[in-house]
Amino acid sequence: MIVAEQKSLEEIRRMIDPYGRVLILGCGTCMTVCDAGGEREVSFLHNALRVAQARSGNGTHTFLEYTLKRQCDPEFLDMLTDRVEDVDAILSLGCGIGVQAVAERFSDLPVLPGVNTSFMGMPKEWGIWDERCVACGDCRLGETAGICPITRCTKGILNGPCAGTKNGKCEANKDMDCAWVLIYKRLERLGQLENMRRYYPPRNFRPIPRPRRIVTRATLDVGGENE
Amino acid sequence: MYSSVTDDTQNHRDRQAKKLSADRSLMPPCQAACPLYMDIREYVDLTAQGRIMEALQVIRNGNPFPSICAYVCTHPCEDACRRCQVDKPIAIRALKRFAVEFGGDRMVQCEAETTHGEKVAIVGSGPAGLACAYYLRKLGYPVTVFEAHSEVGGMLRVGIPQYRLPREVLDTEVQRLTQMGVEIRTNTRVVSLDLLFDMGYKAVFVTIGAHQGLRMGIEGEESPGVIDGATFLREVNLGLKPSLGRKVAVVGGGNVAVDAARTALRLGVPNVEILYRRSRAEMPASDVEVEQALEEGIDIRFLEAPTRIRRENGLLSVTCVRMELGEPDARGRRQPVPIKGSEFSKEFDTLIMAIGQAPQTPGGFGVRTGRGSTIQADPITLTTNRAGVFAGGDAVSGPATVVEALAAGGLAASRIDDYLQRRYPLADKEVKERLSGDLLPETIEMIRKTGRLELPTLSPEARTKDFKPVELGYSWEAAINEARRCLRCGMGAEILFQDKCATCLTCLRVCPYHVPHLDEGGTIQIPDDQCQACGVCVAACPAKAIVLRKPYDRRHITEELDHALKSAAQSNLKPFIIGFCCQYGLFGTGALAGLWRGAKASIWIVPVLCTAKVEADHMLRAFEMGAEGVFIAGCGEQCAREDTDFWVRQRVEKARKTLAQIGLEPERLQAFVSTTNGGDPAEELDRFAERMGNLYLASIIMQEVRS
Amino acid sequence: MSNSLFEEKLGSDEFLVTTEIGPPKGTDTSEMLHHIALLKDRVDAINVTDGQSSVMRFASLGGCLLVKEYGGEPILQVTCRDRNRLAIQADLLVAYSRGIGNVLCLTGDSIDVGDHKEAKPVFDLDSVQLLRMIRTMESGTDVGGNELKGAPKFCIGASVHPEADFIEPQLLKFDKKVAAGAQFFQTQGIFDLGSLRRFMQYASQFDVKILAGIIVLASARMARYMNDNVPGIIVSQPVIDELATAEKGKGLQKGIEIAAGLIRTIREEKLCHGVHVMAVGNEGVVPDILEAAGLVDVHV
Repeated sequence: MIVAEQKSLEEIRRMIDPYGRVLILGCGTCMTVCDAGGEREVSFLHNALRVAQARSGNGTHTFLEYTLKRQCDPEFLDMLTDRVEDVDAILSLGCGIGVQAVAERFSDLPVLPGVNTSFMGMPKEWGIWDERCVACGDCRLGETAGICPITRCTKGILNGPCAGTKNGKCEANKDMDCAWVLIYKRLERLGQLENMRRYYPPRNFRPIPRPRRIVTRATLDVGGENE
Repeated sequence: MYSSVTDDTQNHRDRQAKKLSADRSLMPPCQAACPLYMDIREYVDLTAQGRIMEALQVIRNGNPFPSICAYVCTHPCEDACRRCQVDKPIAIRALKRFAVEFGGDRMVQCEAETTHGEKVAIVGSGPAGLACAYYLRKLGYPVTVFEAHSEVGGMLRVGIPQYRLPREVLDTEVQRLTQMGVEIRTNTRVVSLDLLFDMGYKAVFVTIGAHQGLRMGIEGEESPGVIDGATFLREVNLGLKPSLGRKVAVVGGGNVAVDAARTALRLGVPNVEILYRRSRAEMPASDVEVEQALEEGIDIRFLEAPTRIRRENGLLSVTCVRMELGEPDARGRRQPVPIKGSEFSKEFDTLIMAIGQAPQTPGGFGVRTGRGSTIQADPITLTTNRAGVFAGGDAVSGPATVVEALAAGGLAASRIDDYLQRRYPLADKEVKERLSGDLLPETIEMIRKTGRLELPTLSPEARTKDFKPVELGYSWEAAINEARRCLRCGMGAEILFQDKCATCLTCLRVCPYHVPHLDEGGTIQIPDDQCQACGVCVAACPAKAIVLRKPYDRRHITEELDHALKSAAQSNLKPFIIGFCCQYGLFGTGALAGLWRGAKASIWIVPVLCTAKVEADHMLRAFEMGAEGVFIAGCGEQCAREDTDFWVRQRVEKARKTLAQIGLEPERLQAFVSTTNGGDPAEELDRFAERMGNLYLASIIMQEVRS
Repeated sequence: MSNSLFEEKLGSDEFLVTTEIGPPKGTDTSEMLHHIALLKDRVDAINVTDGQSSVMRFASLGGCLLVKEYGGEPILQVTCRDRNRLAIQADLLVAYSRGIGNVLCLTGDSIDVGDHKEAKPVFDLDSVQLLRMIRTMESGTDVGGNELKGAPKFCIGASVHPEADFIEPQLLKFDKKVAAGAQFFQTQGIFDLGSLRRFMQYASQFDVKILAGIIVLASARMARYMNDNVPGIIVSQPVIDELATAEKGKGLQKGIEIAAGLIRTIREEKLCHGVHVMAVGNEGVVPDILEAAGLVDVHV
């Protein structure tokens, strides 16, 4: 799922500086799961902003709190319509998708991002999140024993490993495993080392050109019949 | 604070608020097992926090004579206590006794007004009768208790020896009744209920107990020197000192038999034995009594029974036969079968028969009796075949326990009230759902095991010299430590707001007891019978979907914090420090409990029930309202679980990170563990306070310089 | 038509010696020119490194042009870190047209180890794909499938890591590079001849030339630093210990001794086809090393 990290309080304070009434908007799905923008974080941020205001003596913000189940669906955004009447800005703790969705719907209001949306990943254990997928659009996990070289190899190469691997770790970050060592070991386990002996030509970096769109519905004739 | 809202939103908020104010706790097994449905969990928890007087209030709310139960209750609650599944049950009776003794004569409710005209007569002043009198009096009825003996209390007075229930304790309770305006007429044996109605009583509660000793029906049972057990105890309790000779045997295996044997010992009989026809496992007497009897040197002869008694040369020659256990009877107890040819003879000065008791109902009562001469009464309404006549206690059930009698007395009072006010006697509806289910091994593994602190007793030698109470009470420390062992069944966490739950699995991951799990449908469940109410998941849930079941727990920290902040503001002492201190530990009941009284000038304590519940939000709020420093102090090694400190530190770090960005130094927020590597917590606190003081001065100076 | 003189030497049985020059971080090429002059006649070919360790420097292509200009035999180092396939192909067209005949194909160090940590890493290709791409260009099309008006021709090489702690995947990769057309290999720094021997046992089945990488260390501290921070370099403990025995100020001398000793053994025992001397900032001492190794007379 989408993993994000809340921006620093300093940065947030700078962003909201020009605005009086600010609605802190949380998201009840991904941002709750990764503990960056759920109801608890909304409440904590609200408290922090109030303390900051009280301690510094300046700043005349008032804050409102609300958390939507998701920010990236129009129907959920409907629920926001009544709450933004007297608001000067929305500080969204949703991921980048949510922030944009809110901004598009409430195009007369400044919408500020409260989190840095970082990657798609999964928890290793409570409080530790690892990136797992970069949405390359051309998944080849079947060839690499279920380990993504594009995400987990820092260089994203297809004919790995490079010479920088030491002790099974990556030259760029000694806490991270070398993906290609992992791939080798697992292919060996599956009896599929042939996969790694094969030559992989250069990647298609643009299977769907950016900004991407996927259409799952059928395009019908004017007459309403399928071709 | 909020902008214009639609009705819909307000309704939603109202519904949420309603949900949040409801008591969703489940009835724990201890309470369900108690005939009085005492809120044991509550008073044990209050004791664990050192709030003994409040615990006593809870006890008194549920039990009219707590001091009696404190000494002699058979504690079905302890048998049902789920701590049995971990190590040993909580010593609930001992804790009750501690509370009662701690409270002494304070806070005793002795007032009652007469608001009704209908008089009620109670025949028998045993526990059922006294309880009924208490409640009827509280309801405003004029009550008269008729007692055949010279002393009040029924079996409490004449059956239970004084080394188990001291005279003074019973006297105090009886005195309260008279202070309330209950009329007690001793030495008055009631032989006809008609007479009572003629005297103007509108309802009668017959609770004459079961005092008539049963007979074995063997040859020689009428011989001089063969006495009835219950009678023997009564005589001793009424002050007589029957001479028993040097060698005494008691026949029987119940509490009366054991009491009789131990009483004989205390009267100076050097040789006392008990003859019981079954084995130890079948003995109905309570384990503790039997243990103590054995310690005192009483010889219990299992699988022996007398068959014939002859008086010879001033002694009783008793023919006994050995028994073996045969087939179980209708109730499942194995029947003793005499072994042919195993007869032998023993000699005693006195033989005390204590094989059972039955009520002696005068024919003049006109009530129908049934099996074992017990009075027949409806179990829900307690009515007999006579209008206006109610019955309860041992007279109806046969010999039973004190607490059951108290419950019967209480029920009788409300039924009599229904009757007199012409109300339909509805069976009491159970309001609360009961907790069921055993603790899983995974849960049990994570619970800190501590032995149960048994009540200290006098040494066996010291005991048998006189009738002083055998059990000594708990010390303060012992009581609190014992109370802390309670698992708080049924008041744990639940996902109250399912719509908010994102199934992020945080609760599953952080729970020290591995309680939350995914069900078949992939929904998170927090089984109420496993949850240990620690509060870790409540504070960690990113969606704020989890709350504790008791409204008090939900609000507790916020309310206490507000209270402390208000006090700090009013006192105007600067700088001030807020300390979140666990009530179960050092700051609650231990060495630093004095801080709670605001003794230290600038420190205001927020009592919390385990620091695992303190959230980063709470810490921020303290700073927002002007605290210069905040600390969190937990129980350290004494905590019921191992990782509380981990969570406290996680939240402290999170708060510190934010505070740093507000210009508040991280050192302003500290987590103290009460056993910090040998350091003296009081000293550490002093240093912390001093440092905060310096920071405060520094900030004042900075402000002056700037302006 | 190949521009490569080095290729001819590859075809012979000579003991090959190459070395590398690190270009400047800036426009001041004086030191580099000095090194080119010093080394061009003493070795079979000179690599010009390209953003080595992800530190931004004067480009290899420019350095190779200068080597060519001054009469030396350059080896162009191309990494995949900074350029996509369009840019690399474009550079190769330039290189060929200016007479550069040799290319060393590398994946490139990661951005994180260098001095522009916020830059975008490209890695459009990896080293194997780069080798193949060059062969594709040689056949007259670019790698987008379009016909070239004038095809280049190169002698191509790659790197290999005989001292890797987990050797199997590296051998797999080595195979792929050979299959992709690599004609010569310059290894990562060799300190333990045992691992070189074991590697050669495997590599000798292929018709490729292996040049052992020899790193000149100046001190035990430098050795440890490189161990921790430079990708692909594992300095063995015995070597670190030996460096530590040097007196203060004599560290480089020790390093030269060690390097020369390795080269001599490799040559005498014919462990592989040559050496690639990496002086890492001390290019000036390369002639001393070659002399100490007894290689002075070989090249004039």
